[in-house]
Amino acid sequence: MAVMSSPERPSPLRFLWKPLEALMQAVLNTVEIPMRWAQRMLGQQKIAWVFLLPNLLIFGLFTYLPIGVNFLYATTGGTNLWPGDRPFLGMDNFEVLLDCENYLDPATCRRDLFWVAVYNSAQFVVLQVGFMVTFALITALILNRKIIGRGFWRSVFFYPVLLSPVVVALIWKWILQREGVLNAALVGLGADPVNWLLSPDWAFFWVVFVNIWFQMGFYTLILLAGLQAIPPDVYEAAEMDGTKPVRVFTRITLPLLMPTMIVVLVLALIRAVQAFDEIFVLTGGGPGSATMFIVQYIYETGFASQIQQFGIAAAASLLLAVVLFILTMLQLRATRRQMNG
Amino acid sequence: MATLSLDKLVKRFGELEVIHGVDLSIDSGEFVVFVGPSGCGKSTLLRMIAGLESVTDGEIVIDGDVVNAIPASQRGLAMVFQTYALYPHMTVWQNLAFGLENINMPKPEIAERVHKAATLLQIGELLERKPKQLSGGQRQRVAIGRAIVRQPKIFLFDEPLSNLDAELRVQMRVEIAALHKRLGNTMIYVTHDQVEAMTMADKIVVLRHGYIEQIGPPLALFNNPANRFVAGFIGSPRMNMVEGSVAAIAEDGVTVDLPQIGRITATVTADGLGVGAPITLGIRPQHIHVGAEAINTIQASVRMVEHLGADTYFYCDLPGDHAVTVHMAGQSRVTAGDTIPIALPAPDCHVFRTDAGEVALGRLG
Repeated sequence: MAVMSSPERPSPLRFLWKPLEALMQAVLNTVEIPMRWAQRMLGQQKIAWVFLLPNLLIFGLFTYLPIGVNFLYATTGGTNLWPGDRPFLGMDNFEVLLDCENYLDPATCRRDLFWVAVYNSAQFVVLQVGFMVTFALITALILNRKIIGRGFWRSVFFYPVLLSPVVVALIWKWILQREGVLNAALVGLGADPVNWLLSPDWAFFWVVFVNIWFQMGFYTLILLAGLQAIPPDVYEAAEMDGTKPVRVFTRITLPLLMPTMIVVLVLALIRAVQAFDEIFVLTGGGPGSATMFIVQYIYETGFASQIQQFGIAAAASLLLAVVLFILTMLQLRATRRQMNG
Repeated sequence: MATLSLDKLVKRFGELEVIHGVDLSIDSGEFVVFVGPSGCGKSTLLRMIAGLESVTDGEIVIDGDVVNAIPASQRGLAMVFQTYALYPHMTVWQNLAFGLENINMPKPEIAERVHKAATLLQIGELLERKPKQLSGGQRQRVAIGRAIVRQPKIFLFDEPLSNLDAELRVQMRVEIAALHKRLGNTMIYVTHDQVEAMTMADKIVVLRHGYIEQIGPPLALFNNPANRFVAGFIGSPRMNMVEGSVAAIAEDGVTVDLPQIGRITATVTADGLGVGAPITLGIRPQHIHVGAEAINTIQASVRMVEHLGADTYFYCDLPGDHAVTVHMAGQSRVTAGDTIPIALPAPDCHVFRTDAGEVALGRLG
C-alpha cells in the first residue's frame, strides 16, 4: 500500500509533512498485515462482515438485545429485576393494560393512568402535528417567496431545532413559571399573572406550543425543499392559463407538495407519539396527569414509581412499538412513493 | 390572428440592461423566429411579450393596444415552454382543460375544444395518461395542445424542441410548420438553432447582446447578411471568413488581397472604403466550386473529407494558416492530402468592414 505523495503547494507546516507521511505509511503497513490475513482466511465476500462487525455488535447490544429483553419482561411479572426470579405470566400484562369496561372512560380501566396517557398522547398528537404541519407549511410558503432577509428568516425558524430538548424546556419554564418572563410582562401591562404550568388546560396548551416552536423549523425546511423542487415553469404555465392564486395553491402547489407533506406528517406523527423529554422537564406530566403522555407513563411505571412494575412498562412499550412500527411502515412507503415521483 | 409590435423595448435586471430598445413589427399570421446565441436576449424578449417579465421601458402593442400592464393571461397569448411545463399530477385531458376551467368555460365547450385539439395533434388515445407516462414528443404535443385549446391570438414557442432527440426534432419541426399553415395564427418561435429558424420562419429576427442584428426572410438573411455576425450565424456549415485588405476598386466590384492566398474579386460596392482598408472576405461552403475557373481560383490543401452520400464536405487549409470548408453536391474521389483548385464566384463573395458592426459592403446588381 502506498501513500500519495504530497501536493506541490506551500504550507507553513510543510516541515511536518515528511514525518507524517512516514508515520502514516507505517500505520498502513501495520494494518495491512492482519487485513491480508483476514482476507486470505475469509475470502473477499466474507471480509465485508469484518467491517460491519463493530456496528453490528453495538446495534445488537444496545438495540436488538433490549428488544428481546423487553419481550421477556413483558411476559413475566413481579418486581424482581433478574429474569430468573420473575414468574412467567404469558399475556397477562397486556390483558391488565387493555382491561377496560368503557374504553372512552379511563376511570373504568384497571390501569386508568395508562389510558389517561394514551388519550393525552392521542390529543397531543392530533393537535401538535396538525397545527405544526399547518404552520410549517405557511412558513415554508412565505420563506419560498422573494422576501427581504430570506436567509436570516430561514435561520431564525430553524434555530430551535438545534437546541437540546432539555434546554428548550428550561427556557420555556423560565418564561412560563409563576415569576417568569411572561407573567412579568403581563403584570407590567396591568394584568393578573397566570399559573401557566399549574392549570391543566394551559399546561397542555403550552406543551403543544413549545413542541411546535421546537420542531417546526425542521419540517419547514423539508417543506421548503419540496416547494423548491416544483419547477417554476409550471407556475408560469399556470400564470399563462390565468390561474388565480388560491387555485394555484390548491390545484398546483398542494398536489405537487403532497408526497413531501405525507413524509412530513408521518415523521411528525412518529416524533409526537414518542414525545417525552421536553415535556417531562417542562411540566413533569402535570398538573396531576394533565400532560402525562405514553412514554412518561412507561418510564414512571418501570423506573420512577415506588413499586417498579417492569412487566407492565415493557408491555406498554411493546404496544407503543406496534404503533411506531405501523407509522414507520407508512413513512417508508411515503418516502418510496416520493422517490418514484 | 393578430399583429404585434415592439416599440423601443428595454429590459433591465437591476443595473444590467439586457434588451436595448428593440423595435419590431410582426404581421398577422406571420411565423417569426427569434434566433441568436445563448444570452442574446431572445427568451427574455419572448417572456416580455408573454407578460412573464415586466417591461422596463418601451411598449408592446398587440392589435393596436399597449399591453405592458395587462397580465399574461389576458393578453390573448399562449406559450409552449422548453420544458413543456405540463402539470405532472394531472392527466393529459386535465392539462388541456385546466386553462379553460379557470375562465369558467362550460364543460361541453371544454370537452369539444379538448377533443378537437387532441384530434389535430393525434393525442386522442393519450388523454387519460399522466405526463410521466408520455414520451418527449408526446409531451411536446400536449404542451402545444394546451396552447391550442385557448385559441390564442398569438402562439409563443420558447425553444420547444431543445429537449427532443435529433430525429424527433425534425419531425416536430415539420409538424409545427404544418400546424401554422393549418391554424394561420401569428407565431413567435425562439430557438438558438439556425436550422430551425431557416426551415420554419416566414421572418427571422437575429439577436445578439440584446440588439436586433437583422430582420428578414430566411433566404434574404442567407444571401444578403447585414454583417459578419449574421453571416456567420445563419447557414450551416458556417460561412468561411478570411481577413485581407482592399486591393482595387472598380465599377464591377472590389478586389481584395488575401495575404499569401491571392486576389479575389467580389461584386460589391466599396461603400467609402479605400485601397488598403482592412476587410473580411466571406463565402459560404455551398458557393465554392471545386475546379479552376477564369478568376478567383485558389489552391486548397484537403485536410479531411466527409462523405455524406448525397453531399461531400472538404475541410481545407489555405496558405497563411487559413481554413476553408467546401461543399460539393454528390460524391468525390478526392482524399485527405490532395491539393484541389477551388473557385470563389464573385457574385457569391461577401465583404465585411472590420470596424464596429462589421457591416457587409453593398452588393452590386
